[in-house]
Amino acid sequence: MENDAHLKLQAFVDGELPEAEARVVASQLARDADAAALIAEMKFTRHALAGHEKAVRVPESRDFYWSKIRRQIEASEVERPAPVAIPWHAKLRRFLAPATAVAVVAIAGLLATQPVGVVGGTETSLSDSGAFTYRDFSSGTTLVWLSYPAEETLDDED
Amino acid sequence: MAEISHSSADDEALVREAQQGGLDAFEELVSRHRDRIYGRAYSMVRNEEEAMDLSQEAWVKGWQRLAQFQRESSFATWMTRIVINLCLDHLRKQKRQRSESLDALNEESGGVERLMPVLTVNPTERLERGELRQRIDSALNQLSHEHRTALVLHEFEEMEYKEIARVMGCSIGTVMSRLFYARRKLAVILADLKKSEAT
Repeated sequence: MENDAHLKLQAFVDGELPEAEARVVASQLARDADAAALIAEMKFTRHALAGHEKAVRVPESRDFYWSKIRRQIEASEVERPAPVAIPWHAKLRRFLAPATAVAVVAIAGLLATQPVGVVGGTETSLSDSGAFTYRDFSSGTTLVWLSYPAEETLDDED
Repeated sequence: MAEISHSSADDEALVREAQQGGLDAFEELVSRHRDRIYGRAYSMVRNEEEAMDLSQEAWVKGWQRLAQFQRESSFATWMTRIVINLCLDHLRKQKRQRSESLDALNEESGGVERLMPVLTVNPTERLERGELRQRIDSALNQLSHEHRTALVLHEFEEMEYKEIARVMGCSIGTVMSRLFYARRKLAVILADLKKSEAT
């Protein structure tokens, strides 16, 4: 018998063959003594193993066995990186930066609604926020520049 | 008081409590299933010390992954899968350290098992349960770890071919081949054990 035939017989014993193939194998067994003998051998091996795994028990006391697990669990939780604490002033600046930007845009909007009639333009610097506006009265446009300190700069300052 | 309630609680309740950080509930789960987890590790690596380390590592992993337990199987089955995976990783590492080109060839082609005559007499007939267990254990001990693992997963864990292939990281064809030669070899070893006892 070829290897593939052996494996097919095994799949038959294990119930892994599709129904149609299983029927073919079953009919083959009646006229193939070698196949039938191999099937019998596989079956007694299966039956010998079924429910006869040697029972083994942990060769240590419950407390001793658990103590090692607990130590490893606790150690792995200590090793976990703690969340980085952000100082209050950094948190405040992170809040103020977008708030300032919103305020600047609001101011720019207000300036844009002022009546146009003056030739030239004015530049208004909001030095604390790092933003300034430029209003061209002749064209009635307002430009706003916003500059933020980079995130790294904030962290460096901390 | 808490100890009493843990010992009377079912696995489901203990898992729920452990998932919320209850280490005492987890300790109770370890206590209930430690023999099964250790036993599976031992059946695969056949070494007490390694089985002990691997089973304890499995429990640590179980705790760390408890949030991922979706109750698709029982907790004990889920833990068993963890220890099986750890054992397979361990055996692969061990194998890399050895030159097993001949073993690999034998594993796929059947080696000497290919030439063995089919047994016509069941060597385990009329054996007492304890004796049969002992004999099977010593026969399993003589198999290569690939053959033994395929048998353990199929016969003791009742996994299908495709599930074994997924766990072992090989094709279904390889699983069938390993299982076939493992059974043939096991049959011969059992017959030899019977003969050696008779003489």
